[in-house]
Amino acid sequence: MFDKKRLELIIEKPAFKRACRILEGCGVTGYSALPCMAGFSLGESGNGRRWQRGTDISASGDMVLIISIMDVALIDAVTQKLEVLIGMHIGVLSVSDVQVIRKDKF
Amino acid sequence: MSLDLALSTLLSPIVLFFVLGLIAALLRSQMTVPEAFAKGLALYLMMAIGLKGGVEMSKAVLGPDFIFLALIALILSFGLPFLAYLALRLTSGMDRINAAATAGHYGSISIVTYVAATQALQLAGISTSGYMVAIAAVMEVPAIMSALMLARKGLKEKGAIGEGAIGSERGELVREVMLNASVVVLVGALLIGWITGEAGMEKISPFFVDPFQGVLCLFLLDMGLSAGRGLRQGWRDLNVGALGFGVYMPLISAMIACGFCYVLNISAGNAALLITLAASASYIAVPAAMRLALPQAQPSIYLTLSLGVTFPFNLTLGIPLYILLGQWITGL
Repeated sequence: MFDKKRLELIIEKPAFKRACRILEGCGVTGYSALPCMAGFSLGESGNGRRWQRGTDISASGDMVLIISIMDVALIDAVTQKLEVLIGMHIGVLSVSDVQVIRKDKF
Repeated sequence: MSLDLALSTLLSPIVLFFVLGLIAALLRSQMTVPEAFAKGLALYLMMAIGLKGGVEMSKAVLGPDFIFLALIALILSFGLPFLAYLALRLTSGMDRINAAATAGHYGSISIVTYVAATQALQLAGISTSGYMVAIAAVMEVPAIMSALMLARKGLKEKGAIGEGAIGSERGELVREVMLNASVVVLVGALLIGWITGEAGMEKISPFFVDPFQGVLCLFLLDMGLSAGRGLRQGWRDLNVGALGFGVYMPLISAMIACGFCYVLNISAGNAALLITLAASASYIAVPAAMRLALPQAQPSIYLTLSLGVTFPFNLTLGIPLYILLGQWITGL
């Protein structure tokens, strides 16, 4: 088994392409995206807010989860760039340690 | 006559289904319209509206009347956000960025409000021109530019100029704004209707004409649910000044459009539609553009106002009023 980093980014749909461009530009070998169904956030004001996928055809209120597993050497550059993106857009970024079987794939 | 018109609009199935959705959401009912189905309904409605408008346009030669009206529509869409911004800043104390983003919504249009107005006019026996759909399409985008111009000062204060769209992303932003789903479907269907004319429409009318009213009821049920949910979640972010803006701004816009209608001397039906378009607020094209170009603005503020306050107001009380204004201004 080989050590890798798993990045999870939940980001609003309008910023999805920007996030993908950052990942691709940093040289990650792949990522997958899933639609988020609903969520809850306490927010800065302390007023909890629930949200769910809307029916608006522009999907501007939707959220997407991007999962990418990458080499440990890439993670700092990727998170630095994504940090700027989620500084502007609605999003949550997390990184965890994972192990993979096929080293060459990531 | 005016009371009859108001009552027939208020008690029409489309408004009642909207109210049903709104009440269901406010009472936290579990009722939902499946997401993909609702998106399909929105596409269907825009295609039907565009096709119908295009067919009507193919029957007549577009003259100077249309060009002047399109020009006025452009001016309204571009200019109204500046007024809305000023009103928001003065009455709600909203910060520059959120005020600019919200103001943009009030220069652009709501196509569903437009459809509801055409239905009410049809019910009242007042005729309108098919090219008004093209006028609606003209009003979708200019307000977005106004909002971005208005936001510049706020972004400068925050030291965030250029954060929304950097370098090559500006191209993406322009493409997303100009080619947003509602504009593409509406203008595309309008052109198809124009090209194929009455003969083309005959072939597809069992799908696009006959079920239109029923589909509109389903769509407005979903809109009611969305508006109710938005209002339930977002009202805490709005003060009394902002909530009031959601009601008085459409009336100010309506009065300004009324003045233009008087100068242009257009028919009562077209005047009512232009007034409705000016008074409506976007909840598809502008929110999508704002999330891309002005992500610092809070969607809970501008969406709650446009979808949760202004849309229900226009659908229930605004439309009869705008029709009366249209009749009054052309009778002067």
